[in-house]
Parts: sequence; structure tokens; C-alpha cells
Amino acid sequence: MEAEAAKMFGVGLAALGLIGSALGLGMIGSGAMNALGRNPEASGPIGSNMILALAFTEAIGIYGLVTAILLIFVA
Amino acid sequence: MRKLVIMGVAAALALTGIALGAVGAAMAGRDPFVPLPEVHIAPAAIFHIGGFAVTNSLLSAWLTCLVVVALFGLGTRRMALVPGRLQAFLEMLIEFLYGFIRNVAGEKYARRFFPILATIFIFVAFNAWMALLPIYPTVGFKPEGAEHVTTHLLRSAGTDINMPLALAIISFLFVEIWGFKAHKLGYMREFIRPGGIQTFVGILELLSHFIRLVSFTFRLFGNMLAGELVLFMMTYLLVFLSPVVFYFLELLVGGVQALIFMGLTVVFAASAVAEHGGHHDEEHAEAAAH
Repeated sequence: MEAEAAKMFGVGLAALGLIGSALGLGMIGSGAMNALGRNPEASGPIGSNMILALAFTEAIGIYGLVTAILLIFVA
Repeated sequence: MRKLVIMGVAAALALTGIALGAVGAAMAGRDPFVPLPEVHIAPAAIFHIGGFAVTNSLLSAWLTCLVVVALFGLGTRRMALVPGRLQAFLEMLIEFLYGFIRNVAGEKYARRFFPILATIFIFVAFNAWMALLPIYPTVGFKPEGAEHVTTHLLRSAGTDINMPLALAIISFLFVEIWGFKAHKLGYMREFIRPGGIQTFVGILELLSHFIRLVSFTFRLFGNMLAGELVLFMMTYLLVFLSPVVFYFLELLVGGVQALIFMGLTVVFAASAVAEHGGHHDEEHAEAAAH
């Protein structure tokens, strides 16, 4: 049971990494909205660049998520 | 009046679902009617051809290919100047994808990049969307004496790490091929840079190309797997109606992930074929400073 408890702690810690990703996503969204408010004509390039930045940021969170899922179901 | 009836039925369904699911079961202190979903990270082999295991995720990838080919064949069989509904939908999709690629890569390279990138988008998106169909989690094989289906006939290919890895390798190879095509052997100047800190920058650049493989793979795999898990867990917790919200979310995620896979590939490809103006500018700036 001790090992199981340690594993679950590990799962929680791995999932905590999502906080950083979530903060980053929020900041990117807010930055893009700010830019859109100032310059609505540039919605095309802002949108595609925002999606790009979102993808990079999200990937980091996904690493933590994959670690957590693998810990629960495989390890 | 009709609206009221519909809302009443929906509320009743949602409440029954909550009562039947694990949430209600925990509140009432009994076992839930719905079994806890069993999670397999590795896909299950359905049958073997020689020594080659055909897994359920591979079957679903083939099914996706068939459906996409059939859809496009049907939509473009009788092409008209004033398009029908299916043809209009396909034209919209293609125009959207082409516009996206042209915005990033420019008119010159968009035509060269378009076929492989659009294929990646369409395959990933349709694969994710088709996995939301009810046949995916229900149809399968039940071993003797078991209560539920344990081996599914179909499983979203994105939830099997091999498919994202294969797509990532394809995207990586095409980016490098396009880079070599545009600059011939001069493309290697990106990685082998003479002198001091520049050598290190070149090595980092080379490393970053391989790290893309990992990030491409795990981004798609993680998103698809997490989506599938969320759907199953929500169905386990709140049986009826409430999981529909998450089905909508997954519809969105499938499209966005496909767009991201395609978008990142086109950005990398565009930077691989771009003229290395920045490098020369740096040298000029250095010369000017001396």
C-alpha cells in the first residue's frame, strides 16, 4: 500500500505541472485579446500566431498529463 | 409548451443519469450501475497477418482513410459550377486550409506544401471526429463468461502513440526534404556554423529539429488520450446528457489539434525554405561594429 500511496503522490505532482501551462495559456489569450482590441484589422495573423503559441505552451502541460496518466495506468 | 416539455425531458434525463452514475451511487452508498472503464494504453490486436499484428487503432485509421476517400470521391464525382451541399463543404474546407498555408508560407511554396499538409489535417481531424461515434466504444469482442466487451473492434488511432509518432516522422522528413530542395547542400549551413558560439547554436538548431518529433508526438497523443479518458470518466460519473458537453469539447479539440499539427508543420517548413537573411544581417552588423 505504501508504494501505491507514493505513486498517487507522483500522479498529483505530475498533474500540478498543468498549472504553469494553464497560466501560460491564459496570458497568451489575454495578450491576443489586447492586441485585437488595439488593432482589429490584424485578426488573421494574430489568430494564427496565437494558435501557434498556444500549441507550444499546451504541449508542456500535455507532457505532465501524459506522465500522470502513464503513472496511474501503466506503472 | 413544447419547449417546456423538451426542457423537462432533458432535466429528467440528466437527473436520472446522475442518479444512475457513480456520483449518485456514492451519495446513496451503493455500487454504481455503470462499470468503471478499464484503461489500456496499448491498443489490442484484432488479428494477425503473418507476424504483423493488426490492432484496433490501425483498423480505425484504415476506416478513416476509406471514409475520407469516399467522402471526397462522392463530393467531387459530379462537380458543378454551382456546387451542391457536399461539394460546397469540401470546397470550403480546402479553401480554408489553402488560405491558412498561403498566409504562412507565401504563394510560391503554398502549392508545394499543400497536398501533404492538408492530408495530415484531414486525416487527424476526421480520425478524431469519427472516434466520437457510438460504434467506437460499443462494438467489440466479449470473452466467454465476461460481462462486458473487453476488446474493441475500433479505437481512435490518435490514442495509440504509434500514429502520432508516424505523422511526426512524416512531418519531420518532409520539412527536411523541402529544406534541402530549397537550399541544396547549403541547408546544412543551418546546423554546421563555423566559429565559437555559432558552432553551439548550430548544434542546438539540429537538436531542436529532433525535439520537434517528441513534442509533435506527445501533443497529439496526450490530447487524444486525455479526451477519450474524459469522455469515458464523465459517462461513468454522470451517465446521460451531461457528457454531451464534453462530446462538444472533443469535437473542438479534434479540429484544433489537427490545425495545430498542420500549422506547426507549415511554420517549420516555411522557416526551412526561407532565405537565411538574418544570418547575413548579423555578419554585416558585426562588420559594421568593428
